[in-house]
Amino acid sequence: MERAIKKIKIGTEIPSLTKTAYMPIDPNTRNVIHTDDYARDFGMRGALIGGSTLLSYVVEMLYNYFGDNWLYHGKIKVSFIGGGAVNGDVVTAHGQVSAVEPEEAGDRIILDVWLENQGKDKVVIGEASCILP
Amino acid sequence: MGGQENYEAIPIGMDLGTLEMTLDEETVRNRTELVQWQAKGPAEKGFAPPGFTISQHARMKFEALPEMRASIWAKSEQEFLKPMKLGSKIFIRGRVVDKYVKRGRNYMVTDLETTDETGEVLLRSRETAVYVE
Repeated sequence: MERAIKKIKIGTEIPSLTKTAYMPIDPNTRNVIHTDDYARDFGMRGALIGGSTLLSYVVEMLYNYFGDNWLYHGKIKVSFIGGGAVNGDVVTAHGQVSAVEPEEAGDRIILDVWLENQGKDKVVIGEASCILP
Repeated sequence: MGGQENYEAIPIGMDLGTLEMTLDEETVRNRTELVQWQAKGPAEKGFAPPGFTISQHARMKFEALPEMRASIWAKSEQEFLKPMKLGSKIFIRGRVVDKYVKRGRNYMVTDLETTDETGEVLLRSRETAVYVE
């Protein structure tokens, strides 16, 4: 797996990961953006799925690709954009290699990453990277 | 105080305190199920899924800022340095490092560091949130 990754070309898309977004709605939540009424008043479609949940979908895709290297060398920097995600949205995490930079510990593979919903609207965009020793 | 006054009163440098957490089986399983984490690699090696404690960061902010009602993640930056061992105890320490207003929205930037019982850093995080009210 790692040998195959090291030969990777810029522009290569890594295997995507699709989830049906879900987060239980707790009417007593401390952050009322995660309730339907408040979120709709704020202009959203409904209770927003937490950013950490959306981030975990992207991280799982990266772990699937980089394996345990991700646990020691993974970096991710993302922005949450658009209208976010609500329960039932089908979201897919994507990654595309943008650069390979040599570091002391190995090659750092850099990817553009994003999470998009069923309408192809991006809700998370950013960059991730991981060293392959 | 209202939301704007509460935001303005947050001092840059404010300590968010320390969250101590034991990565027991139930805690890990609950979060794993919540985010629909399916990759088996970490658990098979005795590790929690990477980033599974990130949801606790928001909890720390809300506990440190009891008047805050609603917040939305704008950006998240995570650096994974070592895996979190199942059954171990971890500590998350956080601090407000910046605030700024952009396009009429109030932003708060926090740095958080997750360490194990020996003090070794496992995860470094910088998160930017919109302070809604």
